[in-house]
Amino acid sequence: MEKGGVEHEITELRLGLPGRDVTEKMMKKRGFTEMIMTSSGSNSDESGVVSGGDVEKINESPAAKSEVVGWPPVCSYRRKNNCKEAWTTKVGLGYVKVSMDGVPYLRKIDLGSSQDYDDLAFALDKLFGVRGIGVALKDGDNCEYVTIYEDKDGDWMLAGDVPWGMFIESCKRLRIMKRSDATGFGLQPRGVDE
Amino acid sequence: MNRALCSRAYLLCFSKSKSLPFEWMDRAIKLQLSTSEMNYFPDEVIEHIFDFIASHRDRNSISLVSKSWHKIERYSRHQVFIGNCYAISPERLIRRFPCLRSLTLKGKPHFADFNLVPHEWGGFLHPWIDALSKARVGLEELRLKRMVVSDESLELLSRSFVSFKSLVLVSCDGFTTNGLASIAANCRNLRELDLQENEIDDHRGQWLNCFPDSCTTLVSLNFACLEGEINLSALERLVARSPNLKSLKVNRAVPLDALTRLMSCAPQLVDLGVGCYENEPEAESFDSLMAAIKKCTLLRSLSGFSEVAPVCLTAFYPICENLTSLNLSYAAEIQGNHLIEFVQFCKRLQLLWILDSIGDKGLEVVASSCKELQELRVFPSDPHDEEDNNTAVTEVGLVAISAGCPKLHSILYFCKQMTNAALITVAKNCPNFIRFRLCILEPTKPDHITSQSLDEGFGAIVQFCKGLRRLSVSGLLTDKVFLYIGMYAEQLEMLSIAFAGDTDKGMLYVLNGCKKLRKLEIRDSPFGNAALLADVGKYETMRSLWMSSCEVTLGGCKRLARNAPWLNVEIINENENGRMERNEEDEREKVDKLYLYRTVVGTRKDAPPCVTIL
Repeated sequence: MEKGGVEHEITELRLGLPGRDVTEKMMKKRGFTEMIMTSSGSNSDESGVVSGGDVEKINESPAAKSEVVGWPPVCSYRRKNNCKEAWTTKVGLGYVKVSMDGVPYLRKIDLGSSQDYDDLAFALDKLFGVRGIGVALKDGDNCEYVTIYEDKDGDWMLAGDVPWGMFIESCKRLRIMKRSDATGFGLQPRGVDE
Repeated sequence: MNRALCSRAYLLCFSKSKSLPFEWMDRAIKLQLSTSEMNYFPDEVIEHIFDFIASHRDRNSISLVSKSWHKIERYSRHQVFIGNCYAISPERLIRRFPCLRSLTLKGKPHFADFNLVPHEWGGFLHPWIDALSKARVGLEELRLKRMVVSDESLELLSRSFVSFKSLVLVSCDGFTTNGLASIAANCRNLRELDLQENEIDDHRGQWLNCFPDSCTTLVSLNFACLEGEINLSALERLVARSPNLKSLKVNRAVPLDALTRLMSCAPQLVDLGVGCYENEPEAESFDSLMAAIKKCTLLRSLSGFSEVAPVCLTAFYPICENLTSLNLSYAAEIQGNHLIEFVQFCKRLQLLWILDSIGDKGLEVVASSCKELQELRVFPSDPHDEEDNNTAVTEVGLVAISAGCPKLHSILYFCKQMTNAALITVAKNCPNFIRFRLCILEPTKPDHITSQSLDEGFGAIVQFCKGLRRLSVSGLLTDKVFLYIGMYAEQLEMLSIAFAGDTDKGMLYVLNGCKKLRKLEIRDSPFGNAALLADVGKYETMRSLWMSSCEVTLGGCKRLARNAPWLNVEIINENENGRMERNEEDEREKVDKLYLYRTVVGTRKDAPPCVTIL
């Protein structure tokens, strides 16, 4: 381990009980995580408290979860064919997952086959057999549903704001929410306009 | 033990054959026979008796009884199982068993499944096919696991063995659909082509077309792991002319209407693997599918369903009561409630592989519906916990299953949390476990209620499950769990350890206690040279030992290699430098990956630069 002071030890996040040697070994495996944690540790004032937007964000990103090689022991064939990871390769081809509140299964839609938001609106309507989703994209405030998307950074944004080209490049997945549930969801602000 | 074996053989023989002369049958009834007495029988009779002994372990025992038995056994052995392809050479195998018809070979160590073994490590099929071909062995069946197979090998295979019937490849790689084309074209008597979870380079060619029109002998065809398109009409024609076809597993390139047609011309199917149907089918297609399914009254096993709209699962309702085996572990699209709805009607299920999206509630339904369940595997749908997933399984589901399914003997369970209390309950509910593999997703996670280690829980498993042969442990574990394992796990043959233990004592408890241990694989645990070197002779009784990210050093491994010339001690080092530089070696340096195994043929010659054999 690095020769930091007590400060590093205290602010280091561990998975197991404190003081266990094995977790140190595990930390070695996740070099990247270690860097993030010890660097943010030296910035924080509190001991052991995870605070501040930066560290919270780290906890959400995949690198902070135990990305130990070969763990959990799911064989590589199964990982490729099943897990969420498999989806990320599909995004490049234009397919994204779409979920709709109240509908028990996920669907997929090919963003590449739509030309603009109107097209997408039409496609979504058809996908779920519910009219009105599309309206949300165009009108914004006058309908039951709100269409949001998760972008490359993991933030949820309201669909329809950014130019189409920018949208399809950064959209990882879509979600159609009831407007009533959307407030307080934690959508990122629209930007300069807000 | 040999006497008991003979007695059993005699009884079998007696019960099956009415053609033995009376005095021999009389002797068979008197179970006091010794081997010297048995030698008065002609060789053909002894061989006939040996035919009833199929297990390769029993046959190995028989061959040790006497020289004459060894000889008879050699020539009558048709099925050979080689657990480690580097333990023996093809030439020696053929010399000993010239009448070989069926060969099973395993190559890379188990942890290769989790990307811990470099791709080029070894396990090549070619030398085996080459030798078998040159010796004109009458090979009929080949089963491979974690081997590197080339198109060239497949072609040689297809041309060399006239009676070749069955090819089963599991987790292999190195070949393309061109190799499959050779098999299809040249193996005139092919009955089985079973490809499970292989990495195959799909040239999207016409390999299925290569089955000649005269090929009508197929019993089993599984190409689910192929990624590319296939010629659908070739497949339909092949299925139509294969009246004996019992098992068909198609890949994702077979659309719904094609599946319907296939099932319509093969209503005798027993085992079906379904492709990929994202979009909801039109009502008419769905009705046709359902009609075809209804006719498959012999269908007992269902799998596939990757990327399938849930409604397609409902098409199988008519036959779900007949199912004994269901593998929905690739059905990431089907949400928990749909899974539950389906499974609750599968009352005859013996084998269930499913994703954890079924949830504890779903497992409770399984526990109350599937009373015949013998094997359960619950895989993680979100292995890295990226989504806030409240429907994954916990100890609650495991306990429910153990309480509800009295015939359960094998389990693989991925979960987020566990408790000692739950494990103790499970152990008491299911003393008949043969295989118990528990994977708590977060390494070193303790009992989530008491925050203690899970030593007591796993201790109970080994104490109550006296027939346990395979065990994988996880969660927070100290040396104590290994004390329990060494003490109680008398039948244990395979043990997998990760992020566990405190000192060398842990590993020593296991090595000293588990007399039947054959395979030990350890990663990220603090076991070092003292444990490795304590009893070198132990490794002669085992197939292999794997240790990665532990505390063993180069010096320790060298000492081991010196003291045990019958072992291959391999150091796998994946640095850019490849083979370790002689003058930079430091005996105190920790070894990244160690793999050792017993062998009768010494150091292998095909090791890549990243592998050093001491």
